[in-house]
Amino acid sequence: MNNLCTDIGFCSINKNGEQLCGDHIELIEQNENYIVFVLADGLGSGVKACILSTLTSKIISTMMANKMTIEECVSTIASTLPVCEKRGVAYSTFTIIRITDNSEAEIIQYDNPMVIMLRDGQNYEYPSTIMEIGGKTIYRSKLSLQQNDVFVTLSDGAIYAGVGKTLNFGWQRDSIIDFLVGNYDSNMSAKVISQLLLDQCNTLYGGEPGDDTTVGAIKIRQRVPMNLLMGPPSNPADLKKMLTLFFAKEGKHIVCGGTTSTLAAEFLGKPVIPCLDYIDPQIPPIAKIEGIDLVTEGVITMTQVMKYAENYIADNNTYTEWFTKKDGASQIARLLFEEATDINFYVGRAINPAHQNPNLPINFSIKMRIIDELSESLKKMGKHINVCYF
Amino acid sequence: MNVYVCVGSSCHLKGSYKIIELMKEYVENNHLEEKVNIAAAFCLGKCTSGVTIKVEDEIICGVSPENFNDIFNTYILEKLN
Repeated sequence: MNNLCTDIGFCSINKNGEQLCGDHIELIEQNENYIVFVLADGLGSGVKACILSTLTSKIISTMMANKMTIEECVSTIASTLPVCEKRGVAYSTFTIIRITDNSEAEIIQYDNPMVIMLRDGQNYEYPSTIMEIGGKTIYRSKLSLQQNDVFVTLSDGAIYAGVGKTLNFGWQRDSIIDFLVGNYDSNMSAKVISQLLLDQCNTLYGGEPGDDTTVGAIKIRQRVPMNLLMGPPSNPADLKKMLTLFFAKEGKHIVCGGTTSTLAAEFLGKPVIPCLDYIDPQIPPIAKIEGIDLVTEGVITMTQVMKYAENYIADNNTYTEWFTKKDGASQIARLLFEEATDINFYVGRAINPAHQNPNLPINFSIKMRIIDELSESLKKMGKHINVCYF
Repeated sequence: MNVYVCVGSSCHLKGSYKIIELMKEYVENNHLEEKVNIAAAFCLGKCTSGVTIKVEDEIICGVSPENFNDIFNTYILEKLN
């Protein structure tokens, strides 16, 4: 057991005018210690390509997860895929990355652009061996992993980005590597890396992609615990227990809510110093308490965090907002989505009389719903979530 | 003189942002920057009747842009004079 974990993020854009994506990513996480990631790119575009890539990635990931050999996987695909009438071939390229114990990776590549690997923010050329299976040339690499290793997988839509429009020969591998190295920030999550690269492809295509384009990123990172406290306990007698447990936890501490932070400050024997700056008029200002990493208002701030989280797992087009802004919600979003891998929520179920006012759009059930929905979204991001109610 | 404006959830929804802007504007227009220190307060415990402000130790509830002028005159200007 080590203190590393694997963070995975991916996104796609469809060829201009197509409703389906011809690339497909399949992910099997049998447990934390065995992950199979497959990116397949089907021949052509639209329905046909979509079927080919979905079948390919499903078959490979299922077989690999059951520890079958690459030879068996390839021969199964070759004999299963429907043959294209026009071209007379059954064809889908694929990239497989298998991660064991967060410490060892095996990369198997067939006809997709070669996986780019960054180690400590620099391009790392990993060794590969070539093997022939059923007339297909397959590259295979095995390497042991370090913290902050990043793998970037691409479908060929990425390297064709801008052909004949902004770039004569498309976006070549070396230029993509330069882009990744230039934008590297060790705090970036896999999702942000993939989104950043895909956005650039889309820009080079002038917003009209000439091919389905998919970027998947895998990042080996250190586990980072994070703790968030929101709301006083329903039984005031539990307050001391709740706060003792919360502050005893390893990792950063976030406290949300006016009453909650006042109680936490009393517990720590420190004053609450609210900031006057309304960075975003929609989000109440934050405060400072010595010993707590971030202090914010409660329901309104967390509602915004929940919205950011929902967007993050959908099309992630608001990440540019929370990635740079300094208001409470953006700061929480960065801590939870980017920095943390394991999040502990301490939720107090006391009812705030002020929130029961029918003229206000906040109430007790909303608070509980925020935590439920936020936890769900965070789980979909691959975070380990633990919620304690008081 | 210390003046606190509550920025808790309820007061925020009732317009703390606007009150802080007005407070800054009035203090500047009356050239009171040296005399009045504006700060935010996290929750003054009067959530049902916001926006709440606190002038030194006195709590004033129900502040709105409409009555702001009167409140500023009564609780801040007069007391300073």
